[in-house]
Amino acid sequence: MNGNQSNGHDLENGDPDDPDDPDDPFDDDAHYVNGNGAGHGIADDSKPIEADEVYDTMAQLIAAGVVESVSTTMLQSPQDLKASVEQECTKEFPNGVRGAKVTSEFDMMVKSQLKAIGAERASTKRKLQESALYEPSNIKRRKLANWGMSNGFAGDSGGSILRDEPNTVVRLNFDKCLVELRNQKLIEHAEDFVGETTAQVFAALLASLCRKVYRCQHNQYTIMTEEEEETYFTGVRVTTEDIFDHLCPSVDLSAGIGTASEEDIDVRFAEKIRKYPPQVQGARLNGTLDEGDEILGSDDEDYDRTGDRPKGPYANGHGHRQGSITQNGTKLGGDYSGEGQPSRAEQIYQMRQHLLILAEAKQQFVRHCGQNEWTVDFGPLIQQIRYVELDTMIEDNFGRHGLRLTRILREKGKLDDKTLPAMALMRKPDVHVKMAEMEMAGFLEVQEVPRDNNRAANRTMFFWFFDEARTLKRVLDNAYKSMVRCLERLEVERYKKRNVFSVTDRKDVRGQEEEKLRGDVYNEYLEYLDIEKKLLSQVSRLDDLVSVFQDF
Amino acid sequence: MDDQTPSLKAQLYAACEEACSGDPDRLFTQEDLTALDVIPPKDIKKLLQLIQILTNERLFAPVHLHSGLAWRLRPEAEAAKYKQLTSHDQVLVYEIIDAAGAEGAWQQDIKRRLNVQDNALRKALKELETKRLVVQFTTVENISKKMWIKANIKPSSRATGGPWYTDQFLDEAFIEALQSVVMSFIKNRGSYLSKGERSARSVSPVLPKKGVINGAASEAAIKSKKRTADAISKDDAPVVASAKTRKTIRLPLPAGYMEYPTTEEITAGIQAAEVAKGQPLKQEHVQELIDVLVWDNRVEEIRMGNRIGYRAVRISKQNPSLYSKPGDEDFWESRSNGLTTVPCGKCPVSDLCEEGGPVWAGGCEYFDQWLA
Ligand code: SF4
Repeated sequence: MNGNQSNGHDLENGDPDDPDDPDDPFDDDAHYVNGNGAGHGIADDSKPIEADEVYDTMAQLIAAGVVESVSTTMLQSPQDLKASVEQECTKEFPNGVRGAKVTSEFDMMVKSQLKAIGAERASTKRKLQESALYEPSNIKRRKLANWGMSNGFAGDSGGSILRDEPNTVVRLNFDKCLVELRNQKLIEHAEDFVGETTAQVFAALLASLCRKVYRCQHNQYTIMTEEEEETYFTGVRVTTEDIFDHLCPSVDLSAGIGTASEEDIDVRFAEKIRKYPPQVQGARLNGTLDEGDEILGSDDEDYDRTGDRPKGPYANGHGHRQGSITQNGTKLGGDYSGEGQPSRAEQIYQMRQHLLILAEAKQQFVRHCGQNEWTVDFGPLIQQIRYVELDTMIEDNFGRHGLRLTRILREKGKLDDKTLPAMALMRKPDVHVKMAEMEMAGFLEVQEVPRDNNRAANRTMFFWFFDEARTLKRVLDNAYKSMVRCLERLEVERYKKRNVFSVTDRKDVRGQEEEKLRGDVYNEYLEYLDIEKKLLSQVSRLDDLVSVFQDF
Repeated sequence: MDDQTPSLKAQLYAACEEACSGDPDRLFTQEDLTALDVIPPKDIKKLLQLIQILTNERLFAPVHLHSGLAWRLRPEAEAAKYKQLTSHDQVLVYEIIDAAGAEGAWQQDIKRRLNVQDNALRKALKELETKRLVVQFTTVENISKKMWIKANIKPSSRATGGPWYTDQFLDEAFIEALQSVVMSFIKNRGSYLSKGERSARSVSPVLPKKGVINGAASEAAIKSKKRTADAISKDDAPVVASAKTRKTIRLPLPAGYMEYPTTEEITAGIQAAEVAKGQPLKQEHVQELIDVLVWDNRVEEIRMGNRIGYRAVRISKQNPSLYSKPGDEDFWESRSNGLTTVPCGKCPVSDLCEEGGPVWAGGCEYFDQWLA
């Protein structure tokens, strides 16, 4: 959305004091999915961390893209980099870059050089990924008896690669971190709108999908590797099997969806395939393919057999299935090797139900983009999430009726002060009060159209409308301002307790406050910690919001 | 006037009556009247004469259209009323009110169109009122306007505001109550009530055949109030599951569910529940209620083939009780975000707030309370 994001906003990881904050981006108890590495070594701080362990963890982080190795080109801004590459290339054209043919040659050259730079940047990552252990697809998830996600900790080849290159400089890859943070936000929303189990399935989908998602926003200066460019233009998609492999084995897939009689379910409708992303239309999403949509009743053979869902090795007619395998090329239900109950096919069937719900949701968390293939349209989805956050604020500030009025305006455009109360089933004076309130707060705009020249109030029509861009900007602004105010307040609180800090800052007291401090001072100290915790977690929540409105 | 005329007149009127039996408001142009085959086609003079007589007798009401003059039939009983009128003013005023129909005529408008003195108009209206030909009424669109309508018809729903108005005032309590009914109907029909007993459930969301189901019960079962009460009473019963006790919640139904209630069904449900006073609510009114719930973000549209159904938003966060109202505190777990939890999010003076300004974060009362 706005320019280069590579420097992110630093508060993303500025909240180390607060393990309880529910929104702490790195405090993700629910997110086993890509929990490889992070927090692994910290778990047991009584033992010193082994160097091997550090290398290995680092290797995993790099392979996952959360941390990247730094090369000199990264220190330049993307604009500068492009400019210098262009300069280099100009030297190859002593006669100047003129004419269509030469220009396109030149462009090709610049592009390929940029791509080479991209490839060079990713080389360490590539190497580590190729060391195979970190490729999640190589991990047979349900076969490993590890507690959570099998995090490929069994080998050390990744670590040894790093050890061979001891001068590797690394830094956080903000682009990738934003992708991960965005995933967490989306999962939260799925939890909120659908339910916990479904959100866990969604988490698995995102984890699987986002191996190929490198950043949230692109611009003309974004330097992509070949790999990325490919997925950027064709879009990423994952198969049902992929998702299943990323799913935490402890998720009870049978939970979270109500039951309904089979005759009330239209499988063809549930399994509808949408090949193209939805178009954003104001606050609403409309699938582009409503009419001519391809409806596939047998997207996978599990559906053909809903009557006799896979119950175990014997429940599904084999002959029945054969045709379908060739049809969609996935080998579902291939292994019934008795890994306890329920079978893999049964579980996949259940997981699909969750995916279908996500696809059916108004927000369109997921798009069923092909047979057994799924994708996420991040752009429109994030736009929806922005509206959700906006609505949350409006409802909190102006109540249900305020929300009603703004949503009417968002849907209908400009309305005069006669139509609006009738639609909202509200009294005119009440509407006027609410509208004035919201206008003051910047959530609505009003346009006055005088009916004659003397501009008397009773001869003026008032049209209210919702200025989307302005409102979103205003919210972002407020979030930043509030963040500053929290930090300002923190300063003040610190100052108020300066007598305490004059003691606690002493080296001999630090870390042993409880023993060394006098009772009342210690209590004051605790009080401060409490305030700090509150304020910092608030900053973090605001920061979260900033991300939604700006970075994702 | 020859002796044929009265019978021809009667024939023409009868023919018109028949022609507009389907649509009493039908207008007749001169061609239409000719086409009725009562008058010889060439005899325009005769036709005009008859029209004149009928108009004079108030059986024809002339209507001015862009394309020319046309006539609407006036029933004989209505025409007879004109005979009671005793002054010219009365006739003129009554004509206007008569033509305004169910929308009624604004006193100010009548005055302007007739260009009469205020007291002459008032006198005429008074006389008409004593004859019980017209009555005054108020329209919800502007309660200060003096409106007049023929005594024997009811003001249009635009003037009365439809079912939402009681004595020209928006009946908010009534609307709220109906909204709750609509909400609980949608919730009940479009979700699954999970009572937290895991074992009681099939492992698949799609049941093999219609069995004892909760959220998706049959039409008849839903409409009986007994079922609803039944569902509620189970909520209260303590659930002691052997392994883990989970609270009662409502769950979403599987994708492709085709029985989310439509406006039609919700209307039928409301009519069956007999919550609306007086005449039954029409579908268009129920649609208004649903629309508001959609705008309130409590309910969303869901396409089921070519039908539109409705289902509750954030169903698993909603209070599972069908009695919880959309306006209640505990209707659902409300959402929050950074700007709803920070005092500045709804601070009335936030625009003035800065260091060195009249208010600032360091000395802010809202923060004092928040941190306390
Ligand atoms: S710091 Fe206090 S006064 Fe300033 S905006 Fe926030 S709540 Fe309002």
